[in-house]
Amino acid sequence: MRKLLEFLVSKRHWFLFILLEVISFVFVYRNNAYQRNIIFSSANVVTGHIASISGSVISYMNLREINRDLSEKNSQMEMDLLRLQEELEDLKADTVSFKGAVSDSTEQLFPFDFVMARVIYNSISYVSNYITINKGKNDGIAPDMGVISDRGVVGVVSKVSDNMALVIPVLNPKFNLSCKVKGSNYFGSMTWNGRSIQYANLEQLPRHVEFVQGDTIVTSGFSTIFPSGIIVGTIASFEKEKDDNYFSLEVKLFTDFSSLSNVRVLRNYRQKEQKTLQEEVRRND
Amino acid sequence: MINNIIRGIAYFVIFVLIQILILNNIHYLRIATPFLYLYFLIKIPVGISRSNLLLISFATGLIIDTFSNTPGMHAAACTFVGFFRSGLIRFFIGKELLEGAYPSYSVFGVGGFLRYVISFVLLHHIVLFLVESLTLFDPIYLILRILSSTLLSVILIAIVEAFNMEAVKSGE
Repeated sequence: MRKLLEFLVSKRHWFLFILLEVISFVFVYRNNAYQRNIIFSSANVVTGHIASISGSVISYMNLREINRDLSEKNSQMEMDLLRLQEELEDLKADTVSFKGAVSDSTEQLFPFDFVMARVIYNSISYVSNYITINKGKNDGIAPDMGVISDRGVVGVVSKVSDNMALVIPVLNPKFNLSCKVKGSNYFGSMTWNGRSIQYANLEQLPRHVEFVQGDTIVTSGFSTIFPSGIIVGTIASFEKEKDDNYFSLEVKLFTDFSSLSNVRVLRNYRQKEQKTLQEEVRRND
Repeated sequence: MINNIIRGIAYFVIFVLIQILILNNIHYLRIATPFLYLYFLIKIPVGISRSNLLLISFATGLIIDTFSNTPGMHAAACTFVGFFRSGLIRFFIGKELLEGAYPSYSVFGVGGFLRYVISFVLLHHIVLFLVESLTLFDPIYLILRILSSTLLSVILIAIVEAFNMEAVKSGE
């Protein structure tokens, strides 16, 4: 013990040295912002690593919301694109009349907007399939509104309750969609073939339409349900119909019905107007 | 003894004043700053106890720090060289020194004194600039600053020592 004490006393300048250095570094640390930052950031190598790990875990948890936001953004942009295409086509079609460099904002060429919804029930294995979504009358959904996903056409709203709506998807024999080959203006009518959830048949496409396998099929826009130009699928194969005047195409659908989660419902301001007009004409016939 | 203390205080005041009033404002080419106040630490008598030397070094560094707004940096560097000073002297000069001898050209010999001064100043500057930068972010610039500052400091110390009449006298 005595020896130890003697040893410590004889080495006391060591302790003094360490003490003074510690004091110096405390001064350095407390008074100089630069050094403080360096020390903090060195310490951050460790904490930063931990934070990045926990951040990546948390970001996984947030993926659902991020996904929803992204898909909402995406649909917003898609709607903008469709609207602009419509305007462009309108301007192209009539180059004689000049409506000004900025189009008239009171005149709406593109009468659609959309509501985001989530699929809460989805069947794909029956002959007549149905989808239920979590938006209803309270969110402004009404029958005969089109439903699309990020990938393409999904179906049409058929029945609406206060908070839910029943959608007839492409995978239902009742569903009938007017489609065209992208770039042409001749349309045919598409129905599900009842077998594979990936394929549907586009029939009664006029024989003189030019297309090749792999061309994109889009909506024609001749109904009040979908605007024109919404993608549906690609041409998988084609054959001539018996009477030789029409093509019958097999269309590979873009929409993956087995993993459908976020969809949007298209609202058409002018649907009512167009419908009443058509009904009237039909009655008069 | 009293004489020695007064002498030490006079050295201290003079060189600290020179340092903080003049030399701290020199940044030659924005890299080199001479630290002449080390002369005071260099001239402390040989036989002083290690603890006292440490305390004196620390206090000197702290005072320089307070005047140059660099709290702790000079204190850390001075304490560091204070700790290694007796080791340096023993390494360069050997043990056969009188207690209370002042390090000088005549006592250490010109070569021995210069070697002692250079190693002392270099050690101090390395610690000082390392503490100041705390990273090895730009090592070439750091080494450049250390070496150029060391050069300036050593030249100044050598000149001051050469013109220090008292040292000349006591050597005779």
